[in-house]
Amino acid sequence: MSSLQIQNNQCFRLDEIIFSAKNDFLNTVSEHLSNGFRMIGLFPPDKGNPGRIIAALANSGSSELCIVGGEFPEDKLEFESFAVSFPQTNYFECELAENYGYTPLNHPWLRPVRKQNVILGDKPYHFYKLEGDEVHEVAVGPIHAGVIEPGHFRFQCHGELVYNLEINLGYQHRGVEALFLEADSNRRIMLAESTAGDTVIGHTYAHCNVVESLSNTQIGLRAQVIRSVAEELERIAMHLSGLGGVANDIGLAIVASSYGRLRTLVINSLADLSGSRFGRGLFVYGGVRFDFDSENINHIMKKLNTVRNDVKVINDFLFSSTGALVRFEKTGAVSPDSAFKIGLVGLAARSCGIELDTRINYPYGSYRYFPVSQITLSTGDVFARARLRALEIDESLRFIFEQIENLPEGEIRGDAGDAEPVSGVVSITEGWRGEIVHIAVTDEKGGIVQYKIKDPSFNNWYGLSLALRKTEISDFPLCNKSFDLSYAGHDL
Amino acid sequence: MIDAIKLRILQGDPIVHDVKNANLPKLFRGLPTIVDKPCPEGCDKCAAVCPVHAITANPVKIDLGRCTFCPLCEEACPGKLIHYTNNYHIASDKRENLIVTKDTKSITPARAAKKIRDYFGKSLKLRQVSAGGCNGCELELNALNNVNFDMGRFGIEFVASPRHADGIVITGPITKNMANPLQICYDAVPNPKIIILVGTCSIAGHVFESSDCLQRKFLDENKIDLYVPGCPPHPLTFITGILSFIGR
Ligand code: SF4
Ligand code: SF4
Repeated sequence: MSSLQIQNNQCFRLDEIIFSAKNDFLNTVSEHLSNGFRMIGLFPPDKGNPGRIIAALANSGSSELCIVGGEFPEDKLEFESFAVSFPQTNYFECELAENYGYTPLNHPWLRPVRKQNVILGDKPYHFYKLEGDEVHEVAVGPIHAGVIEPGHFRFQCHGELVYNLEINLGYQHRGVEALFLEADSNRRIMLAESTAGDTVIGHTYAHCNVVESLSNTQIGLRAQVIRSVAEELERIAMHLSGLGGVANDIGLAIVASSYGRLRTLVINSLADLSGSRFGRGLFVYGGVRFDFDSENINHIMKKLNTVRNDVKVINDFLFSSTGALVRFEKTGAVSPDSAFKIGLVGLAARSCGIELDTRINYPYGSYRYFPVSQITLSTGDVFARARLRALEIDESLRFIFEQIENLPEGEIRGDAGDAEPVSGVVSITEGWRGEIVHIAVTDEKGGIVQYKIKDPSFNNWYGLSLALRKTEISDFPLCNKSFDLSYAGHDL
Repeated sequence: MIDAIKLRILQGDPIVHDVKNANLPKLFRGLPTIVDKPCPEGCDKCAAVCPVHAITANPVKIDLGRCTFCPLCEEACPGKLIHYTNNYHIASDKRENLIVTKDTKSITPARAAKKIRDYFGKSLKLRQVSAGGCNGCELELNALNNVNFDMGRFGIEFVASPRHADGIVITGPITKNMANPLQICYDAVPNPKIIILVGTCSIAGHVFESSDCLQRKFLDENKIDLYVPGCPPHPLTFITGILSFIGR
């Protein structure tokens, strides 16, 4: 029964992890899972030695974070699946099987995560199928109707009602994790920026936290504030885009285009700060590249004042429109119980009443000194996911105004030292979708030999499947937009 | 109803009227200028920091097809020879015109062949395929339809079916898993058709170039009509590039 207690962004030595025998490992992990922990990583820290694995587990309720190590006989990489009792681990086990040759025995639904046409457990994969009279199947994608990333969706329907939606991804797989290992530092930042291009700040923030923690680099307060202002700008921009998306899907064109106009103002504010509408180029190890000055603050404040003023009017219109509420309420609902069981994170989890926000549960950077409020709603439907976005926009705006009005003085850029050898670190940030986890492990020379990324979409795609159950197929676009998940972040 | 009108009034007039002469933020990184001075003896700092091998020193040459506008080279150059301006006119019909030297003053795509202009000059429908794009390029392409850029006013639109399209727009480095769907989509577009590459990923592979998860054969087998560089390209780079291409 041994686990290594760590904190967000705390560098630990690999020899602090106790790799217990397989059965002890399985028991310890199960025990944690029954005590409210969520899995956030499951992989061998040394790819050359797949028999040794670690499970990274987080308990947001108690803000605990821990690592459990296990040793499997190399010729028998199999274990009784946790997923039977804890559905939240299902996808992590699929990934472990796909990448490292493990066999989770009695796994309820072993399927490919990113690779197409893989053989899992000796069988080629077949889509889940419903049989019976009046049953039909609708297959969509990988290429969809709009300018969107690719993914394949299979609906098993009875009449208009969806009984099961299977989401098959991997089309975007670029091998990001592997590329991290061979890249030099400049390349790594670029990789992090391009992991999911709608969450440039969220992923790059997590990546910089990893490297800076490994090298014990301190970040000046001003730089920390600039980082979190950028993160909140990204959140506002994408929440506006999500609200515009749901408005568009119910045919409220004026609302959709109004949100679109405000989003432009927000991403242009990021461009005022960093030159890029997505904040590319802003992050460097040891701080940020661009600073606030009176000129860009002026531009940004002017834009954000318009946003603060107008977003209220648009929200009032949307959330008092009967036509919108009829479509939003009770559509695509996920119960708090299911949300917890499948390990939903971020905005989708908070809209089911689960208190889970990295900025609050595992604060990092300037969120440690300048907190944001945890906002939750309880209905878990399209309404809650839309409404929560509106509320979070208000909170992020409050945060940004407060920070910019009280900017600390100081250097924005320092140097990062060398990474500690034979160590590891878990860095979690709260991207606009939710929990982003980056985990790195170093070798004797301090080189990164294992790099794992978990985008919130990795957890939440299954939430979309559940939301669709017993829902009319025509509500799919609306439900999908209310989750607004990443393909690239999932596929890596 | 009254509230909807109020919303409309609140919208004001956010559109970029003159897409060819818009003012982008000072820090926006578009066309670089290279000072006509020799590099310091033996210096290749710019090339050494560039994560995507887009720049060579002495004489300085930057390949905008590869460049991600990051701006490490500008920072690294001890002679301050490199400066990224906010000029967003950087699309080109020829790959080699994306290579910027000290003599490059501007980049504009040449007008397409008369047949293409006759067919598509007034109405151009495009099918977009994301083949490993990170959603950065996709977001900017979507932004083309918002009230700020409203590309529809020029008769240029994205359509759902390749059968209704006059060409395809590719984003992303073309993953193995998307190579086949991309081909099927392209085959479904009726002739004559054009191919537009949007973003560093599709043009040169970006940081993913060395990944064994890509399959970029499609690009060797087909003629590319327009390159729109950037990571992601600004919506105005796309609009102005296409307008010049179809001769407007
Ligand atoms: S700005 Fe372009 S050329 Fe310069 S270092 Fe970055 S990617 Fe390379
Ligand atoms: S060019 Fe840049 S923004 Fe476009 S898909 Fe590639 S990484 Fe994303």
